Amino acid sequence: MEQWVYHIKQQVSQIEQWIRQQPADQLYIAIAAVVIASALLILFRTFNRSKANSIILAGLSGSGKTILFYQLRDGSAHHGTVTSMEPNDDTFLLHSEVEKKGKIKPVRVVDVPGHSRLRSKLDEFLPHAAGLIFVVDALDFLPNCRAVAEYLYDILTKAIIVKKKIPVLILCNKTDKVTAHSKEFIRKQLEKEIDKLRTSRTAISSADVSSEYTLGVSGEAFSFSQCHNKLSIAEASGITGEISQAEQFIREHVKL
Amino acid sequence: MLEQLLIFTRGGLILWTCKELGNALKGSPIDALIRSCLLEERSADAAFNYDAPGAAAYTLKWTFHNELGLVFVAVYQRILHLLYVDELLSVVRREFSQIYDPKHTGYDEFDEIFRQLRKEAEARAEEMRKLKHVGKAATVSGRKEGQTAGQKGGQQGRRTQRNSGSNGSGNDEDDSDSERRRGFVNNISIGTENGIKESRALSAVKGKENGPPDTGAFDVSKLQKLRAKGGKKADSTAANKASTKEPKKLVKKNRVWDEDLPSESKLDFTDPVDERGDGIVEVVAADQGESMMDKEENSGSEDEDDEEMEGAKPNAKKKGWFASMFQNISGNAVLGKSDLQPALKTLKDRLMTKNVAEEIAEKLCESIAASLEGKKLGSFTRVASTVQAAMEEALLRILTPKRSVDILRDVHAAKEQGKPYVIVFVGVNGVGKSTNLAKVAYWLLQHRVSVMLAACDTFRSGAVEQLRTHARRLQIPIFEKGYEKDPAIVAKEAIQEAIRNTSDVVLVDTAGRMQDNEPLMRALSKLINLNNPDLVLFVGEALVGNDAVDQLSKFNQKLADLSTVPTARLIDGILLTKFDTIDDKVGAALSMVYISGAPIMFVGCGQSYTDLKKLNVKSVVKTLLK
Repeated sequence: MEQWVYHIKQQVSQIEQWIRQQPADQLYIAIAAVVIASALLILFRTFNRSKANSIILAGLSGSGKTILFYQLRDGSAHHGTVTSMEPNDDTFLLHSEVEKKGKIKPVRVVDVPGHSRLRSKLDEFLPHAAGLIFVVDALDFLPNCRAVAEYLYDILTKAIIVKKKIPVLILCNKTDKVTAHSKEFIRKQLEKEIDKLRTSRTAISSADVSSEYTLGVSGEAFSFSQCHNKLSIAEASGITGEISQAEQFIREHVKL
Repeated sequence: MLEQLLIFTRGGLILWTCKELGNALKGSPIDALIRSCLLEERSADAAFNYDAPGAAAYTLKWTFHNELGLVFVAVYQRILHLLYVDELLSVVRREFSQIYDPKHTGYDEFDEIFRQLRKEAEARAEEMRKLKHVGKAATVSGRKEGQTAGQKGGQQGRRTQRNSGSNGSGNDEDDSDSERRRGFVNNISIGTENGIKESRALSAVKGKENGPPDTGAFDVSKLQKLRAKGGKKADSTAANKASTKEPKKLVKKNRVWDEDLPSESKLDFTDPVDERGDGIVEVVAADQGESMMDKEENSGSEDEDDEEMEGAKPNAKKKGWFASMFQNISGNAVLGKSDLQPALKTLKDRLMTKNVAEEIAEKLCESIAASLEGKKLGSFTRVASTVQAAMEEALLRILTPKRSVDILRDVHAAKEQGKPYVIVFVGVNGVGKSTNLAKVAYWLLQHRVSVMLAACDTFRSGAVEQLRTHARRLQIPIFEKGYEKDPAIVAKEAIQEAIRNTSDVVLVDTAGRMQDNEPLMRALSKLINLNNPDLVLFVGEALVGNDAVDQLSKFNQKLADLSTVPTARLIDGILLTKFDTIDDKVGAALSMVYISGAPIMFVGCGQSYTDLKKLNVKSVVKTLLK
């Protein structure tokens, strides 16, 4: 042990002597270079961290988010899915673009569980969101219409979504089935339900409203065009792989 | 026979299913398992029973691999009591975790491995069963016989049971072997203890062909004794049923305390009944300000607590850092059951000092152990802090309601359909039903909803007057029929009256009743079945301790058993009362929510009209873990 310590002490003194031998200017330049480099590093890091670069898949339990996630990533639904208990978070190149030439940036997609007990997980991922895809089950829409509208209303009135104007895509899933509703029908129904929710939620006073924002213009019937953030509606089918409209949305909003 | 065995990730992707057992599962048992068991922190339960629509009854067993985030589930028909499932699951887990790779999503090579494992497990189970049966016969030769048969079985497996092979003496042996095996299967499918005993005795009886004759005689007598025992068991259950039928015939007599008190003169000075209850006394409408339901929770005190905690945390972190630094260097950081036990024990004791029911605290701790076992400790964290974090997350998850508790929205929805929204308040004696009913009415009135009260507590003296006074103070209509009337009929007429005078909400007050009181629970069930209310609100006091579990489970059970429709109406929500009397012993909230699955919709925190709050989940969790 003592030998090691002695050796280390020798090395340190040697280095000190060497430094003292250098001319002062060079020393100052070296120090300045180190300081500037570290400052730039820190700047870059903070920039990258706050950069919103992920797409969030949200929706009710059973609407098809996990299948969509795996379609985007691998192009197939594998053996099927069950109710998710944890979020699926991965950064990848979209499967359909793997063959494309040129520089394509990988996209980070997060699939948040839809079960009502796990809703709070959504808030963890929202700060990094560049866009949100709200998946709606077009087949089983009417029985769950109220729950869908409530969840959508909650998302649209979250402070982060309103402040950062995060674009939202309402994706009607399971359109390969014959009895699935069309996107126009779903849009109208959702607008009606949210309109009703608006009146009942604003009637409740401050303790119940989870955010300070209300949707739409008071006095007029609610429509999606009244939202400050961009809201669009599209169709898809997770099982067959018809997800082109979703991929378009992703490509639009994640900067290349 | 197993119906299906699945392996899936916690994120929801199915990694592997057994292709040989190609039976499609009826209904969706896996989703039901996840929703009602694993997400409800009941992952330490032994098994989950699922009744698919279409008369298929499945039982599901599961195990976790917490480090890789995998869940292994085996599904089989409930009537077959397969004994090898637990063992099979643990063996499958071990094998699969060796070939698991997060990048891969297809594991076809596992088919072969699984087939092997299944055969081995079934064979081992056969052996175990045979050994057990033959062991009971208590003869050396019998045991030898059984052992050779068991060995044979082990070698060939269940599929080849017809070709049991010669045991030495030809066809007789074969028949007895296969008959024995068939007998075993039959008895196991019945699944009673008696059945197994009988089969053991039967095998011993058949075995007498090979053993000495006196052992055969011994076993026959044993068989008769067992038959008698089985008969006694059946008799005792029949006797219980008979005895429970008895009390129904007895009519409840008035209790007479003293012989001297004259029982004729009734001390009933109830005012003569009039429908609206207006009039005799002029009462000013009660306006005590905004109900606390609508006020923000003041978080000032919470910030102070946070600062204190943060001061304490770095100190704790320093100590933990040193200790765990050595641990991390030494590389011993996988959580085992023994590591978790002390941390879980302190947590369980802490929960119990906060008035959580003992059974619930136990189940919760087991569920957390199941979800943490095998996980690697994160760097620079202690076991206690990992367990605490997991418990906090679990508590948050349990207390977060799984359906919307927005009553105003439901009221508006019912209004659009043109019918009144009916809320029934049930609970045991003295929890505060009538008081909190008035508070709820006050809150609804503040949101411009028209309310009507229905006095279906026709038993307690003064109950109708109490509601009448509340109605007068709040200036809302009340429907009453006096005392000694059938509450179910009163409620029915109240709802019809509400339709006539277009009230939005009807609040139905019922008499308090103990959960063990069969006739009263029957009456309650009749009220609920007849009127089909929109919300059955169980009123429970926060002072209750372990009895909360019993109350809620028995209420739900009675409502389910005595229901006339297949989908029984159970308790939809909980109203927690007397919350101001407990300082930080808030455990009753957790017990009630865990055992019933119903969300807490209101919290009563005082005795005036404005003392009604919403449950603040975060503050309750913080208080529980302090």
